[in-house]
Amino acid sequence: MSENVNVGRRQVLKGAGALAIGAAAGLVPAGKAFAARGNAPRWGFIVDLRRCTGCRSCTVACKAEYDVPLGAFRTAVYEEVQGKFPNAEKQFLPRLCNHCEGNQEDKIPPCVKNCPEYPKDRRVFNTADGKKIRYRGGATYKRPDGLILYDNDLCVGCGKCIEACPYGARTFNKRLIAGKDASKNGIAKCSLCQHRVDQGVAPACVNICPPKARIFGDLNDPGSEVSKLVKEFGLENKRNETTLLPAENTVPMLYYIDPKGSLTKLASAKKKFMGNEAWVDQIS
Amino acid sequence: MRDITRRDIFKLGAVGAAVIATGKAFSSQALAGDIVEGGKDFSPKTGVERTMIPSSCWSCVTRDPMIGFVEDGRLVKLEGQPNSIRSRGKICAKGAAGINQLYDPDRILYPMKRVGKRGEGKWKRITWDEALTELTARLKKVRDDGHPEKFMFHYGRMKASSSKIVKAFLSAYGTGTVGNHTSICEGGKWTAQELTWGAHYDNWDFDNTKYVLNFGSGVLEAHTNHIPTSQRLVEAMVDRGVKMVTFDVRISNTAARSTEWVPIKPGTDGAVVLAMCREVMEAGLYDKAFFPFIKATDNPNASTDEKVAALKAHLAKYTPQWAEKISGVPAAKIKATALEFAQNKPACVISYRGAVAHYNGNDTERAVQMLGAITGNIDNPGGRCHGVGAKWKSPKGPKGPKAKKLKILDGFKGAAAYPTHHSNHQILKVIKDGKAGRPDIYMWYCYTPVYANGECQENIDILKDESLIPYTVAVNAYYDESTALADLILPNPSYLEWWDWEDMVSPTQVPEYYIRQPFVKPLGESRDFKDVVCDLSSRLGFPLGFNSAEEFVKKSCEMTPGIKAAGGFDFMKKQGVWHDPNAKPKFDMYKKKVKADALKKAGVIFDDATSTYWNWKKSGAKSEAEAKQKGYTKTKNAYKGYVGLKVGNDVFAGFKPDKVNKSGFFEFYSELLKIKNFPALPTYVPIPEHEKMGPNELVLTTYKVPVHIHARSANCKWLTEIYHDNPGMINTETAGRLGISDGDRIKVKSEVGEITTTANVTEAVVPGVIAISHHLGHWEYGRYASGKKAPMAGDDDPDLKLKWWDTYGVHPNWIIPNKLDPINGQQRWMDTVVTVKKA
Repeated sequence: MSENVNVGRRQVLKGAGALAIGAAAGLVPAGKAFAARGNAPRWGFIVDLRRCTGCRSCTVACKAEYDVPLGAFRTAVYEEVQGKFPNAEKQFLPRLCNHCEGNQEDKIPPCVKNCPEYPKDRRVFNTADGKKIRYRGGATYKRPDGLILYDNDLCVGCGKCIEACPYGARTFNKRLIAGKDASKNGIAKCSLCQHRVDQGVAPACVNICPPKARIFGDLNDPGSEVSKLVKEFGLENKRNETTLLPAENTVPMLYYIDPKGSLTKLASAKKKFMGNEAWVDQIS
Repeated sequence: MRDITRRDIFKLGAVGAAVIATGKAFSSQALAGDIVEGGKDFSPKTGVERTMIPSSCWSCVTRDPMIGFVEDGRLVKLEGQPNSIRSRGKICAKGAAGINQLYDPDRILYPMKRVGKRGEGKWKRITWDEALTELTARLKKVRDDGHPEKFMFHYGRMKASSSKIVKAFLSAYGTGTVGNHTSICEGGKWTAQELTWGAHYDNWDFDNTKYVLNFGSGVLEAHTNHIPTSQRLVEAMVDRGVKMVTFDVRISNTAARSTEWVPIKPGTDGAVVLAMCREVMEAGLYDKAFFPFIKATDNPNASTDEKVAALKAHLAKYTPQWAEKISGVPAAKIKATALEFAQNKPACVISYRGAVAHYNGNDTERAVQMLGAITGNIDNPGGRCHGVGAKWKSPKGPKGPKAKKLKILDGFKGAAAYPTHHSNHQILKVIKDGKAGRPDIYMWYCYTPVYANGECQENIDILKDESLIPYTVAVNAYYDESTALADLILPNPSYLEWWDWEDMVSPTQVPEYYIRQPFVKPLGESRDFKDVVCDLSSRLGFPLGFNSAEEFVKKSCEMTPGIKAAGGFDFMKKQGVWHDPNAKPKFDMYKKKVKADALKKAGVIFDDATSTYWNWKKSGAKSEAEAKQKGYTKTKNAYKGYVGLKVGNDVFAGFKPDKVNKSGFFEFYSELLKIKNFPALPTYVPIPEHEKMGPNELVLTTYKVPVHIHARSANCKWLTEIYHDNPGMINTETAGRLGISDGDRIKVKSEVGEITTTANVTEAVVPGVIAISHHLGHWEYGRYASGKKAPMAGDDDPDLKLKWWDTYGVHPNWIIPNKLDPINGQQRWMDTVVTVKKA
C-alpha cells in the first residue's frame, strides 16, 4: 500500500509573492511538479444538472460523514425559480469546493495562494505504480491528484482562504479549534472525501445521490465515467459554459453538464461569494 | 497508518467540544479506476474503518434497505444498501438524517407518568415495571368487564413484522378498535383501486416505460416508494429520453425535473383525465387486446365494440374545451398529451395525493386507472402494475376471542360509502359525539393525532378532556404535540434500535426480502414496543409464543423457505437483503388461466352477473342457496372467496378483488358504486365549496418538501436546518389583486380557524391558490423543531449551541377541516377555501 508521507515539518520561508516556493528548499516549482507527476490520478467531479432533483441527499450525507456543525455546509444546493407563470421553471445548482487547478501561470488556487501557512512541510505522494511525487503541505494545500485539502494542525484560523475563495466554498467550523491558535476556529470545506477516496471509495455525496447527478473519477483514466462524460459534453473545452465563475480563472476541476444553460442564467451561479459569507442550504 | 494527530479536545468559548482534525496522514491507494460507490466508510478523523451493519430505513414508508456505520459504539453514518434491487445503494436526505432521530437530545428515554393536569407538562419518571403494572391493570379491567373494544389502539406506521407482532397482541386481547392513519395519507387512492383492479398499490415500471404522465405525485421528492422509483425515473428521462408531463398546482421538484410542468387548478385533475380518455377513444388509440378484461357496462358479456361504444357515449361530454374551462389547462395541450400518451406504448400514468385528496378524488383515481387501462398500460412492462412485495412466513399469536369493535373508525355513520381504509381523521369528533361509544383507554403508536389531522384545536380539546377519554397512552420516542397529552408515555426507541423483517413493494416486480436490525442498543431505558407487547401479553395471561421482536424475526427467517435456504437469520443479519435470483418479474398476472381443478372445489359457484367464480364457503353466506340468491356482489365478504373471471370460454386469474366485492374485471363500471347511488362510470363532480367561492377567496393546498417526513422529522437538525420556515406560496397576479407583496405577513382564514404566516409571492404556483407545506409549525417536538425543550430532555448535543434559526414555520392543519371524500372517506387535504389578508 502506498502512502502519503510527510517528509518534514520544517518551516520553509516563502519567497516574494505568495506562489513562490523556495528553490533553495530543493523542490521544483509547484506547476512543474504537478505536470511531471507521472501516474497520479487526476480526480474529476461532474454535476449533471439534467439529473439533480434538488433532494439534498448530498447535503445531509456530507453533514453525517463529517458531523458538520450547524451553520456550516461543505456542500449545498441552490434553487431558483425563473420565468413567468405558466412558463416558470425551477432549477437546482449543487455546489461544493471546485478543487481548482489554479491559473495557468502558477497553478495555485487562490485559497492556497492566500494561506499564510503555505507552503510548509514537504510531502510525498506515492502513486499506484510506485512513483514518488513530492509536493508541499500547508494549512491549505494542493495534492498532486488535484485535491485541495487543509491541515488543521497548521491552521492559524485567519480566514484568508475563506475570503480568497470566490465560490464561498469555505467557512469556519465552529466546533473545530485552529491548530495553531486556540482562540480561533478551524475551517470547514469539502475535501472530496479524501479519506474515502484514498481507500478506493467514492465521496459520500456521490455515494448517496439517488439520481446519480454527481459523478466522480479519474480524468487520467480514459475509461472512467468522468472521462467519457468530459469527452461527450466537451466539458474541458468549454469551461465558460461548464464551470462556475470562469472569469475568476481559478480553473475548477468541477464541471457541470448543463444543457439548459443554468450556469449563465441562475443568479446563484453567477454570484461571487466574498469575505466570510458562507453557503447555507435553504429551501424557500 | 502513520502520523495521525490525536490531540486533546479543547474548549472554545461558548462553543462546545471541538475536535482537532487532520488532513495529511492517510494511507492512499488513490488507484486510478478502482473507486467503488460504497459499502465501506472510514473515520475522517482517524482513517479507521467504521463497522458496517445492514438494516433498513423507516423514515418514510418506502423503507429502503440501508447500511449504517458504527464508530466507537455510536452510529455515525447511514448509506444505501448496495445489494438491494429496490434502492440500488441509495437513500434520501431524510434517510441519511435518521441519525438525528437516534441522538435527538429531546428524546424520551424513560417511562413517564403524568403528575399535573393532562397537557400541563408535569411528569414523573417511573420504572418499566410500574408503567406496565399500571397499564396491565387497566387493560385487564376493561377486558374482564367484557368490553375489550374499549381499548382503542391507533397507529400511524406499523408495517411488516411490526404489524404482525402488535396485531397478534391486539387480536389475542380481543379489540377490533384499531385505527390507522391511511385516510390522512392516500386511503382514498387505495379504495378507488379496490373498486377498479383489486388490491391496492400501483408500482410504476419506469425501467421499461417510454412515457410518463403524472397527476399530483411528488414522485421525485416524497413518494411512498421514493428512492426506488425516483432514481429509475430520472434514469429513464435522461438516459432514454423518456418524456414526463406533470400536472400540478405548483412547481414541485418533480414538476421542475419533468419534461413539462402543466399548471392545473386544484381538484380538477379528474376533468383533464376524463377529457384525455375521450380523446384516446375518439382517436381510436385504445388497446383492443385489453378490453375483454374491462367492465364498461352493466353487462358482463358485452362485446368489445359494445364497451367502446358505451365509453364513447359516457365520455362524449368531456371535451378538452370543457376540461379547459374547469382546469385552466389549454384544450390543445390536453388533446396533444392524450394522443402522445396513447401512441408511446408502454406508457405509465401515475397519480397521488395532489389529485386524490379531494372531494372528487375517488373518481379522479378511477379515471386515471381508466386512462391506463384503455391504452393497455396495466400490469405490463413499462406501465402501471400491481405492486409485488415479499411474502414472509411468520409465527402466529394465540387465537383470541372474536374481536369486538367500537364503530368509530369510519367517521359518522353513512358519511362515506366505502371507507375501506377508514376515516380515522374523524375519530376524535366521533368520540366527542359519543353515540358510537368511547374508548376507556386510547393508546397511540408512531402516530400524532393532534398534529397529523386537520382541526388541531379541536383535537387538543378532545384529547385533553378526561371525561371523553379517561386514559391516554403514548408510545413514542419524542415529546410531540400528542405525547404532551398522554397520561402515560412508553418510551419507544428510534427505528435504528429495533428489529423487523420488511416487505415493501419492489419497482422491478421481483420481491425483495430484507430486515431491520439495531445499530446500537436502545438508548436510556427505551424499549421496542414490539418487545413490550410480548411482555404485556404474558402479564395479561395470553403469551404470544415469542418473547421479542428479534425472536420473531429469527423464527420468520427459518419459516420462509427462500431465506432459510439462503442461510436463515444469520445470513440476513450479515447481508440485510435477499431476493430469489431466479424469480421472474411479475407482469400480466391477470392473464394467468385458472386451473380446472380450482373450479371444482367444494363451494365454488359461478355468478352470472359478474362473470366471476367464487367460493361461497369463504364468504359470509350461510348456505349455497343463500349465496346464489344474494349473488356475489351482495353477499358479505364474497370477495374473500374469489376464484377467477370467466372471459369467453376461459377462466382467468383476472383482477382479484380486495376489501370489496368487485368482480374479476378491471371495473370502469362499478355496480358497487351504483348500489350506493354514485355514478357507475368514472365521472367528474366539481368540489362543492369551490363552486361558490368569492372573488377574494383562495384554495389552500398543502405539499411536502424533499427534506421532511410528514409530521415526524422537524426534530432532525440536519433537515430542519435546511427547511424551518414555510411561507405561503401565492401567484404574483393573485397577490397583486389582494394587495400582498413578497415577504408580507398574512392571515389565512378558513371556516375552522386562522393562521398567520408570510407570503412567498412567486411564479411557481397557479393563480387562486395558497400553497403551504406540511412538516413545520410545531409547538412541541423539542428544540430543533419548536425551540421548546422537552420536559425530560438532555443537552447532549454540541450543536444545540449552534442552532441558528428561531423561526419554526406554520402548520396548515389548524385551519383544514376534517372532511371526507363521500365515497372512500379520504381526508380532503387540498379543498379548503380560505381568505388571505395582510396581517
